[in-house]
Amino acid sequence: MTCKETSHSSHLETVQMNMALNLAALLSNNHLISVSRYDEPRPKLLATPPEGNVHSWTLIPPAYTLSRSVEVLLSLGQTIYVVDATESEDRMLDIGPFTHISVSPNGKFVALYTESGRAYVITSDFQNRLSEHDSRSKIPPKDVQWCGNDAVVIAWEDEVHIIGPNDAAAKYFYDGRVHLIADHDGVRLITNDVCEFLQKVPEVTDEVFRFGTESPASILLDAVEQLEQQSPKADDNIQLIRPNLVEAVDTCVKAAGHEYSIHWQKQLLKAASFGKSVLDIYNSDDFVDMCETLRVLNAVRFYEIGIPLSYEQFLRLTPENLVKRLINRREYLLALRISTYLRLPTDRIYVHWASQKVRVGSEDEDTICRLIVDKLAGKRGISFEEIARAAYDEGRGRLATELLNHEPRAGKQVPLLLNMEEDEIALDKAIQSGDSDLILFVLLQLKKKLPLASFFRVINSRPTATALVEASAQTDDGELLKDLYYQDDRRVDGANVFVREALKQPDSRAAIDKLALAAKLLSDSKDNAFELKALQEASALLKMQEAFDRDLTETFTGLSVNETMFKLIKLGYQSRAKKIQSEFKVPEKITWWIRLRALVSKRDWAELESLSSTRKSPIGWEPFFNLILAAGNPKLASVFIPKAAGGLQSAVVIEMWEKCGMRVKAAEEAVKARDVVAVDRLREAAGQGTTEGREIERLGAGLKR
Amino acid sequence: MAPHAGFDTDQVKDKARKDILYLLEGVRGKKNLVIETALAGPIGLFVKFSTLQDYGVDKVFLLENGNADVSQRNVVFIARGECAKHAQSIADHIKRMQRESQTGHEFSIFWVPRRTLVAEKILEESGVLGDTSIAEFPLYFLPLEKDLLSLELEDSFADLYLRKDPTPTFLLARALMLIQQKHGLFPRITGKGDNAKRLADLLARMRQELIAGEDSNESNKLGLTPSTTIESLIIIDREVDSATPLLTQLTYEGLIDEVVGIQHNQADVDSSVVGAAPQPAPGPSKAVGGAPAPAQAKKRKIMLDSSDKLYHQLRDTNFAIVGSLLNKVARRLQTDYDSRHGSKTTAELREFVNKLPGYQAEQQSLKIHTGLAEDIMKHTRTDQFGRLLEVQQNLAAGADPSSQHEAIEELIARDAPLAEVLRIMCLESCISGGIKPRDLENFKKMILQAYGYQHILTLDALEKLQLLLSRTSPMATMIPMTGGASHHHTGTKTNYTYLRKALRLIVDEVNEHDPNDIAYVYSGYAPLSVRLVQCILQKQYMTSIIRGGNANTAVATGGASQGWRGFEEVVKHVCGQTFDEVQKGEDKAVKARALLTGSGEKKTVFVVFLGGITFTEIAALRFIAKQEEARKDIIICTTSIISGNRIMDAAIEKSTLGKSGV
Repeated sequence: MTCKETSHSSHLETVQMNMALNLAALLSNNHLISVSRYDEPRPKLLATPPEGNVHSWTLIPPAYTLSRSVEVLLSLGQTIYVVDATESEDRMLDIGPFTHISVSPNGKFVALYTESGRAYVITSDFQNRLSEHDSRSKIPPKDVQWCGNDAVVIAWEDEVHIIGPNDAAAKYFYDGRVHLIADHDGVRLITNDVCEFLQKVPEVTDEVFRFGTESPASILLDAVEQLEQQSPKADDNIQLIRPNLVEAVDTCVKAAGHEYSIHWQKQLLKAASFGKSVLDIYNSDDFVDMCETLRVLNAVRFYEIGIPLSYEQFLRLTPENLVKRLINRREYLLALRISTYLRLPTDRIYVHWASQKVRVGSEDEDTICRLIVDKLAGKRGISFEEIARAAYDEGRGRLATELLNHEPRAGKQVPLLLNMEEDEIALDKAIQSGDSDLILFVLLQLKKKLPLASFFRVINSRPTATALVEASAQTDDGELLKDLYYQDDRRVDGANVFVREALKQPDSRAAIDKLALAAKLLSDSKDNAFELKALQEASALLKMQEAFDRDLTETFTGLSVNETMFKLIKLGYQSRAKKIQSEFKVPEKITWWIRLRALVSKRDWAELESLSSTRKSPIGWEPFFNLILAAGNPKLASVFIPKAAGGLQSAVVIEMWEKCGMRVKAAEEAVKARDVVAVDRLREAAGQGTTEGREIERLGAGLKR
Repeated sequence: MAPHAGFDTDQVKDKARKDILYLLEGVRGKKNLVIETALAGPIGLFVKFSTLQDYGVDKVFLLENGNADVSQRNVVFIARGECAKHAQSIADHIKRMQRESQTGHEFSIFWVPRRTLVAEKILEESGVLGDTSIAEFPLYFLPLEKDLLSLELEDSFADLYLRKDPTPTFLLARALMLIQQKHGLFPRITGKGDNAKRLADLLARMRQELIAGEDSNESNKLGLTPSTTIESLIIIDREVDSATPLLTQLTYEGLIDEVVGIQHNQADVDSSVVGAAPQPAPGPSKAVGGAPAPAQAKKRKIMLDSSDKLYHQLRDTNFAIVGSLLNKVARRLQTDYDSRHGSKTTAELREFVNKLPGYQAEQQSLKIHTGLAEDIMKHTRTDQFGRLLEVQQNLAAGADPSSQHEAIEELIARDAPLAEVLRIMCLESCISGGIKPRDLENFKKMILQAYGYQHILTLDALEKLQLLLSRTSPMATMIPMTGGASHHHTGTKTNYTYLRKALRLIVDEVNEHDPNDIAYVYSGYAPLSVRLVQCILQKQYMTSIIRGGNANTAVATGGASQGWRGFEEVVKHVCGQTFDEVQKGEDKAVKARALLTGSGEKKTVFVVFLGGITFTEIAALRFIAKQEEARKDIIICTTSIISGNRIMDAAIEKSTLGKSGV
């Protein structure tokens, strides 16, 4: 696939005030590729038009299309195809083939020129035919372009036809070849010796200068001439247009803008000035702006600069972009003056100047650096990075480094420093910026570029870098971590990488192998005795669990030591639980708790009861009472009350009996503690007539006396 | 130059909504969204699903599920740019979709809050960068409440203190810069802690870069002069007070977070507790977050924010009084409702009918909160909870730690939740400068045996977090009492023993019904982190409670904030750097501005908790804000909401040995 022809059309995005360009390329197989932005070009294939010879083609920028995507017009056979991202549509014309297609600057109209020498203007939605013109020429024209949105210009070798609405036409003849350059408000004609600008006469100009006009603005202009001749008619004129004076002043100001001749600009502004001096209230903002604008326009139109910009074009271009164009022409002084005059930022100018200086300056590097720094010191918004980049691209590495030191934005320096292979400085600058993304970006580059040992050396002295490498390697690069920890002699960390790997193993065998590797790392140091022991225990546990899994056809693997014991007891394998306890030296208290919990959850009341005959429990007897009661066996729970009662207050003990539903026992305790209130309460609760109540009554009787 | 506009969290919300809708509008036609799980909740907070539908969104998928279909030509990914994992996962998605469907897809990626070099590098290496159009969705602060902004970075605690990854600090600095650019520089930046200092330095650097930046000329210069509507910025590094979040939160909201968990103002509660969702689902559950989860019918998402009047009233109160408050509301509702019998005229009746929807909403909310409170009560009444709380409070009050060891041992033996056990151990370590080596070793052994040997990693992580240290470790040692005189200061850790008295952290006589001190949020313990804020904002009050012992003069006449003045000596006993910087603009402008605005205006104070804040601390700060209401507004900013359990979660290893893949 080769690129046969490219065409581009430019338009202004008024919303963002910058030039957004659209580009489409036609391949030899009629495929179309479009690029909608240049800062991040993403070439996109448009819908495929039919095969055939494309006589001519053009595009409509997305801003003017209904589909909001770029549309391409292809002249194929007799008709025109409109192609956008999704479809290719035949517009069903039968007057082709067309040798030229041209879209008006506002995207609303299309000019078509046929092989037979006829020109048509239609709306860009192909709904209406607006005008038709027969050029009566057998020779195909060189170019067809729009002149503003008003007329179409057809150019042959040395002849130009201009066709307006209603079939109005005019012809111009030249001595040599003519080239057309369309602009949005007119068309520029360039020959070997002149550059002409063809445009519709602006309405305000027409209003002031039309032959025989008696518009207020033209009378005002006349008034100022009378004034210069010190004629009283000046005043008469003013009186004549008094009611329309504001309008006249406005018109003169506007007309001045469209004037190329400095004489007439002056005259018109003088007229405006004279007019507004008569008015009591007039907002002079437009007048002042126009004066400023004209000064700028005249300066750039001056032949040594040579930018013959029209007022409209200037407005669309914006002063900022005009300055940019001047910078590109290296007209720094004028750019600077215009920027200062219009209160625009000047940083770009200085940066461009400095970049140019480092590219072509013949002085030695120190001088250039000093020169630039002196000139730019204290100025806001200067990007030393850009200047340094220019120096670097020019092969002046040392100068680049030096300039870069003056860049206040650490982040900006990084990419260039990386290009310059100043890796460590780049890393330091990235760390300074605090932007972890930037740091990681540098680290990624370095990791790819440097041998591992050097990479570690670079990050070693920089804790932030090390931390980020560790953090990002933790998820996906265990090998890097192992090397890093080995190099730094961080044994526990190194061992933990293996532990993490052990956790990922699908079975115990593989996990045990990994744990052994971890243990090996820790084996020759006394400091890590605890960790080492823990690792060995972990392996031992896995091995024992494996045996249990096999022997008892239950799953133990994955449980902790305590959980394993719990499960063994619950399943009734007391001796195996004992074995675990002694193997792992599980403390007596914990063992008791586990046994208690396991037996309760198994509802093994017999075993629990037999425990109650034990002389002493390291966890006391209260937990037995509580857990058994909670499991719903108050009778057994009550067995533990006398055993637990030792260290408890009588009130608590009374409550314990009560919880088991044994009021008589509770009352006995209350009597023992001589707690009359409790006895009364218990009797109440039991009820007067019941056996229980009578029993409590009997017990309490002794107390009352 | 126009004067600085006052700060309002609603603006942040509006901007977020506009930003995302603008971006969605840029993608023509119908589109499917693929959102990172952690962003689905936050996005649901400021834009409803129905609004997204208006902007052409057809289906929403979660990035992590990897199941986005190819039903729409346009596919929009929304993910955090800082995370390399997401970039890879997006690349995989794109490649899969390109394989699966013949029609060409348009892929867009909105990186939150910014595009990153690393993410794009990954896309490039996967060969999909050219197929995507990339945009930034600058969502930094997410307004959880009118006075609460959070970056909602779930892993920020682990990032900062475990992995030492500075990303949260950087993003927080960016977020604060955006506020400064809009409302002017913080006239004063006061703070405590090493990371806090780093944040302040970053702010200074970013300010310099902004001045140097090329767009400084175009952007309004407001950002370069001190604000007239903001009084100051206070930065507290989580590290300076690790003990507070380890304690169990005792406010209503805090306990909901402890027991159920709150994420992006939402809690997943068993519908058996709060009843099933009413038929026309309330607004929030229709939002993005709720969209792709139809399976879990058992859980109900409860929106917990101030749009619920009742919750607004309850959230910051001590849980002890929530029951009686609910009771009161229930009785009031009943009388209000019964008043309909009293209405004689049709006008009265109409008035009643007009109020009816309000009653119904209130009744609905009453039902939810009664259920929720009962559920929490069930939890707080357990023997285990009582034990935990007792140990915590004893440790906080300065009891001899070894007297608590038996209780901790029992909790382990009874298989109490690991996070709770570790919280107490860490609390002891933080408050008393490490645990005695023998005891620590014993505890570690018990933990490994009780909960599994995978926790070798957990214990290591806690040590890295400096939360669980041996007393012999140099990092555990506390800043010595004698103060700054000696140059060879041996300790670096916050000295709670000293501060307990110096800042009166323990207040015995708290009145939970009508609190007079922030200590009510932990039933008697005043969070150190908030005490530090009080040292800056409520100097008189602090002086009075330290000297007088009685907190009678509850309201202080806080003049202009004076940084740490008066508390310099005390603050030395808190770990990390101390700083107090004044940001000046050009002199002329400052003077002119001061003249223009005068001093009568109420100003805003931003209190930033770097590394996370708990709901109890928020409650305490709101308590201060209430007292200072007449003079200033307090806006709380944080990297994320944390709790003791979430801190432990950062450390706890989840997989077990010998079982993975089973």
